[in-house]
Amino acid sequence: MGGGVRRLLNCYYSLLQILLTAMLGLLLVPVTLQIVARYSNVIPRYIWTEEIARFAFVWIIMIGSIIAIRDKSHFIVDVLPEFGRTGRKVLGAITLVTMFLAGAIFTYGGWKFAVFGSIQHSELAGLPMLAIYIAWPVLGVSWLIFTTEQIYDFIRDTGEVAHGTP
Amino acid sequence: MGPLEAGLLLFGVFGVLVLIRIPVSVALGLASVPIFLIHDRLSITLLFTEMFRAYNSFLLLAVPFFLLAANLMNAAGITDRMIRLCRALVGWMPGGLGHVNVSVSMLFAGISGSSTADAAGIGSLMIPAMEKEGYDTPVSVAITACSSVMGVIIPPSVLMIVWGGVMSVSIGGLFLAGVIPGILIGGSMMVAVYIYALKRGYPRYPFPTVREVVASFLSSFFALMTPVLIVGGIVGGYFTPTEASVIAVLYSMILGLFVYRNLGFKKLPGVFYESARFAAIALFAVGTASAFSFLLAFFQVPKALVSMFADLSMGSVQTALVVAGCFLVIGMFIDAIPAIIILGTVLWPVAETAGMHPIHFAIIGIVSLAFGLVTPPYGLCLLISCSIGKIRVIDALRDTTIILFPMLIVLLGIVLLPELVLWLPRLLMPHFN
Repeated sequence: MGGGVRRLLNCYYSLLQILLTAMLGLLLVPVTLQIVARYSNVIPRYIWTEEIARFAFVWIIMIGSIIAIRDKSHFIVDVLPEFGRTGRKVLGAITLVTMFLAGAIFTYGGWKFAVFGSIQHSELAGLPMLAIYIAWPVLGVSWLIFTTEQIYDFIRDTGEVAHGTP
Repeated sequence: MGPLEAGLLLFGVFGVLVLIRIPVSVALGLASVPIFLIHDRLSITLLFTEMFRAYNSFLLLAVPFFLLAANLMNAAGITDRMIRLCRALVGWMPGGLGHVNVSVSMLFAGISGSSTADAAGIGSLMIPAMEKEGYDTPVSVAITACSSVMGVIIPPSVLMIVWGGVMSVSIGGLFLAGVIPGILIGGSMMVAVYIYALKRGYPRYPFPTVREVVASFLSSFFALMTPVLIVGGIVGGYFTPTEASVIAVLYSMILGLFVYRNLGFKKLPGVFYESARFAAIALFAVGTASAFSFLLAFFQVPKALVSMFADLSMGSVQTALVVAGCFLVIGMFIDAIPAIIILGTVLWPVAETAGMHPIHFAIIGIVSLAFGLVTPPYGLCLLISCSIGKIRVIDALRDTTIILFPMLIVLLGIVLLPELVLWLPRLLMPHFN
């Protein structure tokens, strides 16, 4: 993988990190508004705050999961004994291929899911539901991209495969 | 496809995927894919519908915020203040720092809803301090890991929020129900520390002066008010659990930024990022586990279990023991949150038929799952503590088992005496029954 591609991937990863940080910060706002509105008359009691908060939350989970695919911090269970070098290689290859397959399923199924939702609008704020459902194909595609990067590194023998503790 | 075939297929595929080191959250989703594809009344989009339904929850939003509050408290040096208080209160007993470690975990549990934040925050301060005073590293690591499980038992608790959301149980009731088991577990660990200290001659601190006790109490006073604010606010009906979690965040930010002034604005993005990332990893499994449990329910696995247990004609005590056993075993292998969604929903019909109270059932489940946080192969708190103490998991196992033993007795007590769990909510919540 050339330096250019790697740089592009790093940029995407940083963008996701910034988005994730900002979204959790922004998420404080609607919930705080909700409490303030209930106990004072300063601002009206919006009902869309709750829905916006929920949708932002869905995105936080999805973006965080993409990030965890790249930095391999999804939790795994280590029950198999330690293998020799060949055993580790074989197991690593199986893990990566399966993860790639999972990414493909998320892309394909997620796309169908998003298309199915593209005619719906949300109940309270009237947002197009596509804005949320699209998170699944985005997750799938990002997953494929980062797993491809890991497969590349694996073939070049530079990366660790296993996910672990964050 | 009958319940047996469906159950075997789901758990079989899941088991194989976990074995080849696919992350648990991903494995739960993938294991459900074959059935979604094969069955003519199901489709793959259902996997995503179930995930969306699970994430689209205002209640679960409390999870990242309680994590954030705990991490802010750590970053703001509030943990140091509580250690000082505990040192004054229990440091004079033999094995002083061990007792400090346990009791600070209890206080911290009252602020944070998560055991991992507890293990990471307290471990990074206490493990080096204990090593310096001559405690064996495996013992320091084991005490830190085991005491951190109180994070999910003493309110607020991320696990109780998930439980309340998934099983429609009162979260205020769950919070109150966790108090007495949490204190008992803390007490049982202090007994273990005491015996260690006598056997190995661990040091103690001199008896504190009244002045030091008062000073350390005042220094951590605002932090100690957090549980009162959160639990009182929820139980009293002033705000929802999610609102309470945001109040906890705002409160700890104000403490850190303006009152104690140990937390600069520059530190904030890092703390926010780590909290969001960790919450996302933990909660991703909520969606895939929901799809998995949707299929279990679709093929009527819970119903099959109920009739199977009916044939065994067990009383409520035997059923409670079976429930605890199931949660203990599954907790060893998967994270507590997906375990609640899968096993909680499957076992509840069985427990209900046996006449168990939903909150008694919940606390048995949560305490049993808490053991899973420190038992290998998947014991997150043990892994974190070991990495802080720079030892291998296997080296900490012996001491962890010893400290867990009194805790197992407490679990047995909770199983046999539902009143331990139900007394406090009945006392404080007028509509509780």
